[in-house]
Amino acid sequence: MENILALAWLVPLLPFLGFVVIGLGRKYFSKNITGILGSGVVLVSFIFSLILFFDVRNGITGDGIVHYFNFIKVANISIPFEFQVDALSSLFLLIITGVGFLIHVYSVAYMHEEKKEHFGRYFAYLNLFIFFMLLLVMGANYVVMFMGWEGVGLCSYLLIGFWFKNNDFNYAARKAFIMNRIGDLAFLIAVFWIISIVGNANFSDVFEFARLKEFTATDITVITLLLFIGATGKSAQIPLYTWLPDAMAGPTPVSALIHAATMVTAGIYMIARSNILFSMAHHTQTVIMVIGTATALLAASIALRQNDIKKVLAYSTVSQLGYMFIALGTGAYVAAVFHVMTHAFFKALLFLGSGSVIHAMGGEQDIRKMGGLRKKMPVTYWTFLLGCIAIAGVPPLSGFFSKDAILLSAFEHNRIIYAAALFGALLTAFYMFRLCFITFNGKFRGTAEQEHHLHESPATMTIPLIILAALSVLGGWVGIPELIMNGGDHLSTFLSPVIALAKDGHGVSHSTEWMLMGLSTGLVLIMIYFAWNRYGRYKEEKETAVGKILANKWYVDEIYNKIIVNPVSKLGSWLEEGMEKTGIDAFVNNVGRGVNYLSRHFRYLQSGQVGSYILLMVLSILLFFAYQFFIK
Amino acid sequence: MNALLISAVMGVLMMFSSFMLKSKSAVRNVALAGMFLILVANILDTYGWHLFNIPTEGMMHFDRFSLFFNSIAFACTFIFFLLSARDMEKVGINYAEYFSLIFFILCGIVLVASFQSLLILFLGIEIISIPLYILTGSDKRNLKSNEASLKYFLLGSFSTGIMLMGITLLYGHAGSFDITVLIKAGEKPSSLAIAGLLMLLFAMAFKVSAAPFHFWTPDVYDGAPTVFTSFMATIVKAAAFIGFMRLFSTAFYSLHDQWQMVIAIITALTLLIGNITAVFQQSIKRMLAYSSISQAGFMMLALFALNGTATEGLFLYVAAYSLATIGVFAVLIKMKDYTFEGFNGFARHHPFLAAVNTVFLLSLAGIPLTAGFLAKFYMLKAAVEAGGFLWLVIFAVLMAAVSVYYYFRVIQAMYFKEGDAPVSMEVSRPFQWVLGVLAFLIILLGVFPNALLYWFYF
Repeated sequence: MENILALAWLVPLLPFLGFVVIGLGRKYFSKNITGILGSGVVLVSFIFSLILFFDVRNGITGDGIVHYFNFIKVANISIPFEFQVDALSSLFLLIITGVGFLIHVYSVAYMHEEKKEHFGRYFAYLNLFIFFMLLLVMGANYVVMFMGWEGVGLCSYLLIGFWFKNNDFNYAARKAFIMNRIGDLAFLIAVFWIISIVGNANFSDVFEFARLKEFTATDITVITLLLFIGATGKSAQIPLYTWLPDAMAGPTPVSALIHAATMVTAGIYMIARSNILFSMAHHTQTVIMVIGTATALLAASIALRQNDIKKVLAYSTVSQLGYMFIALGTGAYVAAVFHVMTHAFFKALLFLGSGSVIHAMGGEQDIRKMGGLRKKMPVTYWTFLLGCIAIAGVPPLSGFFSKDAILLSAFEHNRIIYAAALFGALLTAFYMFRLCFITFNGKFRGTAEQEHHLHESPATMTIPLIILAALSVLGGWVGIPELIMNGGDHLSTFLSPVIALAKDGHGVSHSTEWMLMGLSTGLVLIMIYFAWNRYGRYKEEKETAVGKILANKWYVDEIYNKIIVNPVSKLGSWLEEGMEKTGIDAFVNNVGRGVNYLSRHFRYLQSGQVGSYILLMVLSILLFFAYQFFIK
Repeated sequence: MNALLISAVMGVLMMFSSFMLKSKSAVRNVALAGMFLILVANILDTYGWHLFNIPTEGMMHFDRFSLFFNSIAFACTFIFFLLSARDMEKVGINYAEYFSLIFFILCGIVLVASFQSLLILFLGIEIISIPLYILTGSDKRNLKSNEASLKYFLLGSFSTGIMLMGITLLYGHAGSFDITVLIKAGEKPSSLAIAGLLMLLFAMAFKVSAAPFHFWTPDVYDGAPTVFTSFMATIVKAAAFIGFMRLFSTAFYSLHDQWQMVIAIITALTLLIGNITAVFQQSIKRMLAYSSISQAGFMMLALFALNGTATEGLFLYVAAYSLATIGVFAVLIKMKDYTFEGFNGFARHHPFLAAVNTVFLLSLAGIPLTAGFLAKFYMLKAAVEAGGFLWLVIFAVLMAAVSVYYYFRVIQAMYFKEGDAPVSMEVSRPFQWVLGVLAFLIILLGVFPNALLYWFYF
């Protein structure tokens, strides 16, 4: 057992080494070496993750905590550097390194037109991202998790702004960073809060503390709320979601890896990890549920009228993350993790598919100028279609099972939330098939030159697509409900050491459950039919008032600018002009001037005349004597 | 005792060597070997290996305090020789005599660090001062050097007079020159004793160049050949401080309340004048003279506080200050132009020298991770522990902030200005090595001050 856990440190270390080697050698390595090195380290990490995963599953790793060294030791606070390889983290390890590896391979082809050093820079960042993401997931306390949390934020920033010559991309990177910082601050405060009460930040100690009900109701509510705010930043929920659509400025594989499959699910991981705390904070759960629902609906509605292929997928991601939060809010942590997993498969697939399309179209991202790509790019088309079916929630593809688990949990908790979530699922089906049909069906609407260049992507791109498509189709089996298959629901069993199962079991009868499945499946199929009717042959969309609002994303960015960004920057420029320049600067400069002035006059004391020196010394001696004998 | 006798013998030996040895390098090597021998002998003495056993009739006492300081002073002198011996030879034709005079000064330093009687203190101070008058004027053809020498001599005589007067008054009060008798007599202070004490205080303040008795310092430091300025400003000044500390922490400790305020005023004045005047200087040599005054102001804090932290701190301070100042001067000697402009673009032409020089200057300014920071920290801590004079501590901190300005002006010139930074002589490889070691020592002491202070106790 010890031997196996002793390998744990290799998992994050390898990508880190990859980062160092590729980063330093980016000017010397050829693209092939960089590509093999970059993907290779992640593959080896994946193999180690697999070993770890199966050992965890066979229950031979115990609590899975591996201690390395004392990271911070101040007074009576001690923060060890520890990893925790248990059911939850080992599952995430698989997703991160597995999907990560596929995306690395895909990137080799996708980024092939970059110059050597930029190619190396890209893979260095990507490896660094994997390292930090693994750190985030493997950390056995909130501090190590926070290090990973910050690190992935950094990599996200670097990769969104990868093409740094385009200033819009830099703004997008900055926006992502700043929005994330807001959430990070809340997370950090929560961590401090926990340390101040518990005395350290180890998961085991904090959860034991919670289990013994030693947190007051206020503490637990505030801590969980702060943690949740942290999660809204990283996992793009209202009110901090606006950075994610802009983050599509990065290369498409980055969107697939960071902004769909892994980093944005960090918030879900964090809450699932802290499920004991959240289960005790009912107010927070309500807040999470409502925010999740609102985000799911808002993002889905915006996705209806976006014409940028990646923007649609981005809003779809926001919306799907909202579903995960609905699950978290209703206490269905397993369902949330399940959806993280299936979503990682089909959303990575969809992004990579869109990347394949963009690659073929020579950088074009506007779906109105595509169309009819089905025949030219059959592999991309079929995998993309499978992804759409999976995300729409058509049985028996993976998305159906995970979404169904979430809907069921919502149904048990609150019918209104259920109705809203179901409505959102229908919107999902609609906008996804709108995207698919406009892109791949009908006639080609681009330029002749683009049409001439249309081609299926190379194998390094299509093979990851095929693997991900297979996973999207089959990935649902791990969470097939008991209802359908006896002995199903492997995932709950597997995660049970980490995530306590819902207390009261299923609150609905089997017949209701069947009925709900039937209802959602039926409605989804109807929506797909609608979408086919409307977009099977491309027609210009009519300008409507609602359509305009949706196309402009509910003007949320504009509202944020008006009520937050502008006042803050006004305050900033006032502080600069009013306080800094005329206040602080002037004060500091005048002190300096004063010293200079004094200096200029003090030096006249140094006349160079011995007589005057002796006079001054005698005078001061007399003064000292006078002081000592007469004044004192 | 070991060091005292060997350095006296070395002084005589060096005088002979000027006509016995033909080559400069032979003289230099004899001096270096002698210096090393003195250092080793002193360390042996510290751990009970007394080579000589001469009764001092209670007039001297070689305790850990004095021996530990001697080791610091000898080690600094050794480094000084390694760095600057060649430059000493360039001052004039009597190069062997310069070494000889320095060895005599070291005798004085031993006396000042280990006196147990006011007579020995006086003797020590004079043995230090008289060779220094000569060294200051050693650049015989240079009018500035002559002028500085004469000024130094006149003002030094004045302070000697004050000191003798003070000793006489104390003798009148206690009937003895012996420190132990003075301690007893201090229990019943009279005006006579207080007046004598103050006069001794002024005379010692003159020697450590504390305001308002500092006037000689800029003129003498500026006029003297730069190598000797380096020696004067570091090892000699440190010795004067150790004598000062020894005298006031034993003989006059019971009268601490009587003179603490006077010391506080002197400290504040020294910090003010040293730092403020340094700001306007154009010549780095003169700036360093004022910097040595301002550093003296900081060391005065130890005398003001007179507690365990102050003693430890003073040792750390003299070591940090001496090492850094020796380093800065060693670089300065190589320069053609002693103004700030002379250093413009130095980093581009001599990156290594600029880097180590930056370490020295950072240490002088008291930036963390250098010895200078912890030294200043100890001083402030001692003053805070002494209690009651918080204004002095705050003032000292503000003045330390002012000092950053003139030290960083050099760094700014080296790194951020364009220029040729002409050097007057080639810079040898060993010279750079020694400077590198020096910079390393400063950083080492800045991280592990106990690497030095440990030896004070064990």
